[in-house]
Amino acid sequence: MKEGFRQAMAWLHTWTGLLFGWLLFAIFLTGTLSYFKEEITHWMQPEISHHAASPQAALEAAQRYLQRQAPASQSWFIRLPNEREAGVKVGYRDANGGPRGFVTQTLDAKTGEPVTARDSRGGEFFYRFHFQLQMPYPYGRWLSTFCALIMLLGLVTGIITHKKLFKEFFTFRPGKGQRSWLDGHNAIGVLVLPFHLMISYSSLVLFMYLVMPAGLMAHYGDDTSKYFNDLFGGGEAPKAAQVAAPLAPLPGLYAQVQALQPGARVGNIRVENPGDSNARVTFTQSAADHVAYRRSANWTFDGATGALLEQGKPESGAMLTAFSFAGLHMGNFAGPWLRWLYFCFGLAGTAVIGTGLVMWLDKRQLKHAKAPRVPRELRLVEVLNIVSMSGLLLAVASFFWANRLLPVALEARADWEVNAFFITWGLALAHAIARSSRRAWGEQLALGALAFMLLPLLNALTTAHGLDHAIIDGDWSMAGFDLTALGCGVFLAWLASKKLRPAVASAKLSRSRASQVGHETAQAR
Amino acid sequence: MMFGIALIAFAGFAALCLAMPKHFETLLGRTPGPGQPQLLRVTGWLMLLVSLALAVQSRGWAHGLVEWTAVVMAGVTLWVFALPYLPRLLVGMAAVSALLGPLLVLSAG
Amino acid sequence: MTHKPASLTPSYRLAVASRSLAALLGGYLLASTASFCVAVSLPVAPVDATLIGLMLSFVFYVLAFIGCFACRDAWRAWLGVLIPSLVLGLLGALVHWMKLP
Repeated sequence: MKEGFRQAMAWLHTWTGLLFGWLLFAIFLTGTLSYFKEEITHWMQPEISHHAASPQAALEAAQRYLQRQAPASQSWFIRLPNEREAGVKVGYRDANGGPRGFVTQTLDAKTGEPVTARDSRGGEFFYRFHFQLQMPYPYGRWLSTFCALIMLLGLVTGIITHKKLFKEFFTFRPGKGQRSWLDGHNAIGVLVLPFHLMISYSSLVLFMYLVMPAGLMAHYGDDTSKYFNDLFGGGEAPKAAQVAAPLAPLPGLYAQVQALQPGARVGNIRVENPGDSNARVTFTQSAADHVAYRRSANWTFDGATGALLEQGKPESGAMLTAFSFAGLHMGNFAGPWLRWLYFCFGLAGTAVIGTGLVMWLDKRQLKHAKAPRVPRELRLVEVLNIVSMSGLLLAVASFFWANRLLPVALEARADWEVNAFFITWGLALAHAIARSSRRAWGEQLALGALAFMLLPLLNALTTAHGLDHAIIDGDWSMAGFDLTALGCGVFLAWLASKKLRPAVASAKLSRSRASQVGHETAQAR
Repeated sequence: MMFGIALIAFAGFAALCLAMPKHFETLLGRTPGPGQPQLLRVTGWLMLLVSLALAVQSRGWAHGLVEWTAVVMAGVTLWVFALPYLPRLLVGMAAVSALLGPLLVLSAG
Repeated sequence: MTHKPASLTPSYRLAVASRSLAALLGGYLLASTASFCVAVSLPVAPVDATLIGLMLSFVFYVLAFIGCFACRDAWRAWLGVLIPSLVLGLLGALVHWMKLP
């Protein structure tokens, strides 16, 4: 019975892994990129330079701008610059402006004027994609959250199936064909397991209010806003009293927050009913300061008098748990070295999925190695593997190439960068269908290698922020992007070289691998 | 400080690896003496616990646990994937880590 | 699934499809009823009970998936999710009704 259970779980692991692996690979890759979304945005909008402006100065500039631009708006939103975000982000409610009646603008922290930078979604594109999958609300979120469940299932079934989890904890045997692939898949799965489990479970927690309405029904029916008010302690903002009262200077309120919580970095500031006697200003501590989101790290002031009205209520244990999951997933608290580790662990998760997909196909292709043609179902998996992995990487590269090549004044420029991403992905699909598997892999990986390796050169030729300038200026964010792109290109080139080896040598290799696997699968069980 | 903690944890995992006779023989070229695997296992776990305690003490429970888990995962992954290629270098690194780690911690704390 | 079929017979495919549906739909039902039951029963603040109910729901979903493919046949898969769902659903409804003013 025990053997039957393990076998059943292996079957479940294999099939759910295959069916959702393609999508999960994309989610993991774009999610991993999102850990550096600010740095990616910085590379994609090099015009926005980092000015060392104090938070108070930035806040003052933001208030000045918003007072000029949207004095009668219902609510304002300000996000202060930090080590990773150069400009001051402001937003305001305007029924006539922007998508969903909300206008956003980035200001130069020093001058307080809107920055003029090429229109681009920047790193936000990858961030949004990884949980919305370019689908209309709420379908994308439903699908990505379901994928997270399958990922969690895959991890659990993987653990159950991996008989020698402890015995082979330190085992990795390269150069042995399929045995190596399995060793590698198991190793990056097990050794980075805490991260994989955390990421999967926290993804579910982030959208649990959306996908598990039954849980809300008990106490909130279908009133999600009441749930959020109870959770975040927000409450409805008071209506405007229609009595004019100038808004207190925000830097003064900022100073009050500093007095209450010395050393706190301020993330967001929200102003309700600016210019009214019922104005409210809420300061939220930066997510960089705590692992878990802290609703208690919120201070609300009377906007007209500047008096402190309330601080966010303390979190309960359940809240701290949920907010910790959210915080761990987002990783906003991570400093430079920890952020790089997040990035590497994300790549590890991506690799777990990728190696799984490759192994699934390899095992079954061996059975048909002597057949003249690959069976239709395997051909489908072949194509999907190629397009979801090397195809996706090509799409990512083209997103960056489009950013540097599209004219700055082009209409809907940001949309066209995204279009380049999807057009390239589509072309990769066509290519994967047209070419043999080995050639498709090799050619796409080679092109990807070239595309990534040449990014630093493209950057240097089209902007004044090439690698040499960036290093001299100490702009490590910009330099880091170029260097990472270079490293990625080198890695892809190495992969491509393995695929593009002469056919004779690889055929010999396949035959010896086939006999090896026969031995090993007999031993493994 | 965190780097010192990472080194102690790295050495701890190296010890746990060597505590397995299969790996001991591959890495050190001889069979383990009587009681050596047991000693290595105890040492390994001890080092991991010490590194965890140091992490929590210096960075608090939230940041400490997260950063400790992160450096542990990084260290053990590095160990496992480099092991087939550079076994002797890794054993050397583990020995250095066992000494350097506590030194860094003491000098920082 | 303890028996490895000799070939992909239609009955095998049907069994797999049935188990899959039991896991997907029945599992979701189980997760939902469990979520509701936990949220309504826990003697803590409503928002906290809701949070705990929501967070635990996914454990039930994963267990349901595993159960549906570990049990002996597709019938057991369905019973394995529907009966607990019914029990939890009734329990939750009962507690909810008892707590009404």
